[in-house]
Amino acid sequence: MKAQDADDGPDAAAIGTDVFAADDGIGGDLARVDWSATPLGPPDGWPQSLRTAVSILLSSRFSMWMAWGPELTFFCNSAYRTGTLGRKYPWALGRPAREVWAEIWSDIGPRIEGVMTTGRATWDEALLLFLERSGYTEETYHTFSYSPLHDDDGQVVGMLCVVSEETERVIGERRMATLRDLGSDPSVVRTEQQMLDFSARQMDRNPRDLPFTLTYLHEDDGTARLACSTGIAPGHALAPAFLPATGQAAPWPVSATEPVLIDLDTTPHAGPRRGDWSLPPLQALLVPLQQQGVAPHGFLVVGLNRFRTPDESYRGFVELVAGHVAAGTVSARSYQAQQRRADELAELDRAKTAFFSNISHEFRTPLTLIMGPVEELRHRLEDADPLILEELDVIRRNGVRLGKLVNSLLDFSRIEAGRAQAHYEPVDLARATAELASVFRSAVDRAGLGYDVDCPPLSRPVHVDPAMWEKVMLNLLSNAVKFTFDGSITVRVREESGRAVVTVADTGVGVSEQERPRLFDRFHRIENARSRSHEGSGIGLALVRELVELHGGTIGASSAEGVGTTFTITLPFGTAHLPADAAVGARTRGVVSTTAAPYVEEALHWLPPLPAGAEAALPTVESSDPVAADRPPTDARVLVVDDNADMREYLARLMTGAGYRVTTVVDGTGALESVRADPPDLVVSDVMMPGLDGLGLVAALRSDPRTVSVPVVLLSARAGQEASIEGLRSGADDYLVKPFAAAELLARVRANIQLARLRDHHARWHSALVDSLQEAFFVCDEDGAVIEINTAFTEILGYEPEGLPYRPVHPWWPDPAAEPEAHQEVGNAFGRLLRSEKGSYTVPVNHRDGHRLWVAVTFNQVDEPDTGRRLIVGTLRDVTAEHYAIQRESALASLSTLLSRASGLPEALSGALEELHDLWHAACVLAVVLGDEAAPVLTATDGSRWQELPAGLRDALVGLGTHPKLSPVGAYSGTAIVLEHPDGPMVLWLDLGERRPFTGEDELLLSLLAGHLAQGLARVHQIDQQRETAIALQRAILGPSHLPTGFAVRYEPATQPLEVGGDWYDTVPLPDGRIGIVVGDCVGRGLEAAAVMGQLRSACRALLLQNAVPAEVLTALDHFAAGIQGAACTTVFCGVLDSESGQLVYSSAGHPPGILVEPDGTTRLLEEGRATPLAVRPGAPRPEGRYVMPARSTLLLYTDGLVERRRRSLDVGIGQTAAAVQDGRDAAVDELASHVMDRLAPDGGYDDDVALLVYRHPAPLDITFPAESSQLAPVRKALRGWLAQCELPRHIAQNILVAAGEACANAVEHGHRTSSDTVQLRAEARVDKLHVSVVDTGRWRPPEPAANPHRGRGLILMRALMQRVTVTPGPVGTVVDMQARIA
Amino acid sequence: MTPLTLTPGHRADGTAVLTVTGEIDMTNARGLHEAIAEAGGKVVVDLTAVDYLDSAGLSVLFSHADRIELVAPGILVPLLDITGISGLVTVRVQDEEHF
Repeated sequence: MKAQDADDGPDAAAIGTDVFAADDGIGGDLARVDWSATPLGPPDGWPQSLRTAVSILLSSRFSMWMAWGPELTFFCNSAYRTGTLGRKYPWALGRPAREVWAEIWSDIGPRIEGVMTTGRATWDEALLLFLERSGYTEETYHTFSYSPLHDDDGQVVGMLCVVSEETERVIGERRMATLRDLGSDPSVVRTEQQMLDFSARQMDRNPRDLPFTLTYLHEDDGTARLACSTGIAPGHALAPAFLPATGQAAPWPVSATEPVLIDLDTTPHAGPRRGDWSLPPLQALLVPLQQQGVAPHGFLVVGLNRFRTPDESYRGFVELVAGHVAAGTVSARSYQAQQRRADELAELDRAKTAFFSNISHEFRTPLTLIMGPVEELRHRLEDADPLILEELDVIRRNGVRLGKLVNSLLDFSRIEAGRAQAHYEPVDLARATAELASVFRSAVDRAGLGYDVDCPPLSRPVHVDPAMWEKVMLNLLSNAVKFTFDGSITVRVREESGRAVVTVADTGVGVSEQERPRLFDRFHRIENARSRSHEGSGIGLALVRELVELHGGTIGASSAEGVGTTFTITLPFGTAHLPADAAVGARTRGVVSTTAAPYVEEALHWLPPLPAGAEAALPTVESSDPVAADRPPTDARVLVVDDNADMREYLARLMTGAGYRVTTVVDGTGALESVRADPPDLVVSDVMMPGLDGLGLVAALRSDPRTVSVPVVLLSARAGQEASIEGLRSGADDYLVKPFAAAELLARVRANIQLARLRDHHARWHSALVDSLQEAFFVCDEDGAVIEINTAFTEILGYEPEGLPYRPVHPWWPDPAAEPEAHQEVGNAFGRLLRSEKGSYTVPVNHRDGHRLWVAVTFNQVDEPDTGRRLIVGTLRDVTAEHYAIQRESALASLSTLLSRASGLPEALSGALEELHDLWHAACVLAVVLGDEAAPVLTATDGSRWQELPAGLRDALVGLGTHPKLSPVGAYSGTAIVLEHPDGPMVLWLDLGERRPFTGEDELLLSLLAGHLAQGLARVHQIDQQRETAIALQRAILGPSHLPTGFAVRYEPATQPLEVGGDWYDTVPLPDGRIGIVVGDCVGRGLEAAAVMGQLRSACRALLLQNAVPAEVLTALDHFAAGIQGAACTTVFCGVLDSESGQLVYSSAGHPPGILVEPDGTTRLLEEGRATPLAVRPGAPRPEGRYVMPARSTLLLYTDGLVERRRRSLDVGIGQTAAAVQDGRDAAVDELASHVMDRLAPDGGYDDDVALLVYRHPAPLDITFPAESSQLAPVRKALRGWLAQCELPRHIAQNILVAAGEACANAVEHGHRTSSDTVQLRAEARVDKLHVSVVDTGRWRPPEPAANPHRGRGLILMRALMQRVTVTPGPVGTVVDMQARIA
Repeated sequence: MTPLTLTPGHRADGTAVLTVTGEIDMTNARGLHEAIAEAGGKVVVDLTAVDYLDSAGLSVLFSHADRIELVAPGILVPLLDITGISGLVTVRVQDEEHF
């Protein structure tokens, strides 16, 4: 059922129903509802509460609706109908609320539910609701309240909604806000783009009304450019950056002059979706950007909110927005146009000022050419016709006046252009003002006026630019004189309210009231005023005001016609009001300058001439005395440089007239040539010249050492360049600004020439002093460039002053490629010279002719007084001879030390070569001894071998064998020298590397060193031989050269470097196969004891061989010792060992007991057979002890040096020794010997002779046999016998026998490559292990059971029988190691 | 060649007996082999007087394992056990008293 059908609904059958009577319109429609079809039933049956609610609803003028009953049946009143329900009326009546407001049920449903369940009312303000009441989804805002409706029982059965629609208000406010923002103060906006960006930001803040916007501006060619956009991405199809003037493809009509509504459906692309709205705009409104009466300069496109109709209000809003944008751009454009116009005007003004300034400058040169000659004429025509002089005076006076005018104009233009270069310095203003006032005193007097100068000192100085202040005062005073006929002029300086106040008051004609405001205007002249002169430019007071204002001061005038005028200037103290960089310190000079003269002269001219004889006092200017200036320094020549022919000739005439010789050139280039060819005493140059100008000329002269001191006086026409000249004062000696007085120029020329001559005189004196120095003298600038040298410098290094400056790297530095170290050394020293304040160093340098010099340099840093530049002055002394002498001395000393420390020839020689290598920084030094050997014996610092040397070098070295000794000779690109070596002639060869010269000094040094070396080698050789002899002798007396197996010995003599002492050990193989064992200890130590020992040892040995009975040997030795000095009291242990049975027979002559340790660790001392030391009781029979050494037991014999310690019983030492043997009883005997020596060594090492002898029984078996199978049985026999000595269980011995037999069989089988192949079998028994090794010279094959089954079985057997078997095949044979556990 | 005495004989029951005296090694194993071969049939090899037997001799014994019996001194028993020959042939240990 549709709403519009409601009209055709049930007829007004129930119209009479009074419940709806409150409203005719709605009531009728409600009555027509078929209530019986609703849960409420016919109205007749409605409860009273419902009826009441309905009548309240209908009678209210507020917009309301209500819902009642289980389906929340919908009612509304007339206000609601028109305001909110729209096209849903009357369809909505009597329907469930959920159906009526289906589209917003998600918003309001929960609220209603809340009211129904809780009975509490709701309140919502301006809630956005999208209603479908007008045929489209509409953006609406409602403020509403839901309140509960109760039935007759008080139950909540319905709700009443009081609602006011606020759509218009909300949207209206929103739009107003945008318009207000757009119109907000755009005063900061400057450019069109800034303006547009501002508008865009405002538009962007209202995305609901302006989902997107595009601002296009027309270009001159009829196209349009996108200037800004909101809500749409750049490059979107609807937002092309450019729109053509015509063309169908464009989304927007460029040439629209009226607002156009555009359906976006018809454009190829939909509009962009935008934040607040879920759907894109359907339409856009294009509005031209237009101001009344002008063609549009662009257009604004606004994508329209699809949830509002584009009604009048909406379109109006968009048009207003466009209006704002249009107004903004127009105003921006006009602002820019104004700005441009202002800039153009300012530019015009600048151009005018510049032109004005330039023209004024140009007056200066002709003025000079007028004034100069006039002055000359006046001097020359002093006696001429007074009329002529009078006319000359007129010319001169007007020249002065013109000059003053030009200067004033220039001051103005400078101030205007901001180029007034003021230098404010602290000035005693009262005094300065008084001085300036005094200048006018003569003129005031002559005018018959009173002059009251009242200038008491101020409390503090005032910062003024003296030149400017001068102009201020001169102008005011000149003015006062000009306009005052009677009365007086008063100048006053006071301090008032913390400011300096200067008043210049006159009793003159005064200024009328109407003229007064324009008094200080430029070029304004007071008309018809009575004055002494009608001359006047009208710029004087204007300039005064400008100048005072530059000082941060003020000037005012009070005046009354016919009474007088008072000018009052106030100036602040301090510098706070001045530009920071313009305040300078006080300078000491007079206040009154040349500027004053024209003012006073002019003033005087206004006044009646003085009676004859009375001369007006012109202010004297500086100290230039024309007479003195005319007298030139003798014979001085001046170079005049000016491109203006008149000026050039004038200057030349002036100079010549003053007695100078004059040369003229027309420009800077000519001047430079002339000066270089023949330096004049002075250069007078114009600044402005074509080509090289005056400033360039000065710079060029100053950069050339030959012309650096030529004085230059610059003439400047352009006052604007005064500052540049100021900055260039270090370059130019003096300058004058045109127009200048001839006398002044001459004075300056003269002064500068005198100064230069004085300077020259100093310079010549300085040069003479420096040149007279014996030592070389030099001056370096900050960069290290040598800028001055003296004669000695040239003599030492060969470099002449003509080559100055010598910039680093200086040409005397050693070549970096050939001598990198020397170059580096000089570089480092030079670095110190630049950095340090003073210092000295000695470095190698090259004379200009290439020869090597050593120079000692001493330097100091000084500040040049004139420029403050830092300079380095230094002296330099040739110390080459000293250097080489020292070098020789130290080289010889170092070689001597080395040779004296060397312990052998090879060490001495290689050390000497290293010494030479370091001394010369040689690439390589080698020595070849050409002795009897087949090949020469080479020693080289780089470790080369003879055969590795180039054949050419080998030949050269061998060839030098016959060369005279100790005479250096070039050989194979190096230097060689031959000297005597103990083994034959030796050639020493130095390779200094590429291009290194070997100088005469080097040769001398080499000869000396070689001679020294030869002597040293001979001495070392001699010592070597002596030592070898001594050692051979000592070793001969010490002990046997070969020990029987099973023995180990140690010997430590107490006295170094002897290798022998009083102790000895000996083993003597006896004819019956037994072994004699002797350990003895003579009294004392050192060489004497050793000599005794040697005799006793030999005797004992002989006695043993003769009769192997230890007791008898010792008895015989008693007799022998008795006959030898120092042999008495020697202790000796003498024993005879049967190495097969282990039986030991022994006798001891007072010797410490032998220590025996059995395999199980049992320790015993061999204490039997002991008697007195030798020769104590000669002839007394000696006892003998016997002991059978168990298998694998260890015997240790020693001398008391091992065990004897001060303040300790010998037993302690013996006990320690026994424990050490016990610990090491499982080690091999050699290891054990070391172990014992280490364990017992005192902290500082042994301080007595120590002899030590260790034997383990049985001795290891060691058999070497030919690799032949016939040897197997005998070897086995020997092994079997040895195993028996080891006292092993039978089956263990058998296992070892079989395993060893297998290893030997393998060795025989595989080791027989050549007939000389041998097999070595070694077996050694320790405490609980037995080691067997079989070493052959062949290689075992891997087991191949199939080919030779029993061989593989052999290895298996070995592994089965022994505890560990390793087979190590090596390149020269195979080693089988086996180990069996035996205890 | 290592000396080795090989004495063939027979027991009272007619069993062939080869009595070996000396050391058996690679130099003389061949002779043992030949002697056993010559004996033919079942043969008792008496090693009582052999105090050295290596893998060469063992190989010979293995090669004849199917027709020999061994009489060995106690000292050779570990060897015979290790090589496994005592598992193949009957071994009688002769001189226990040495242990």
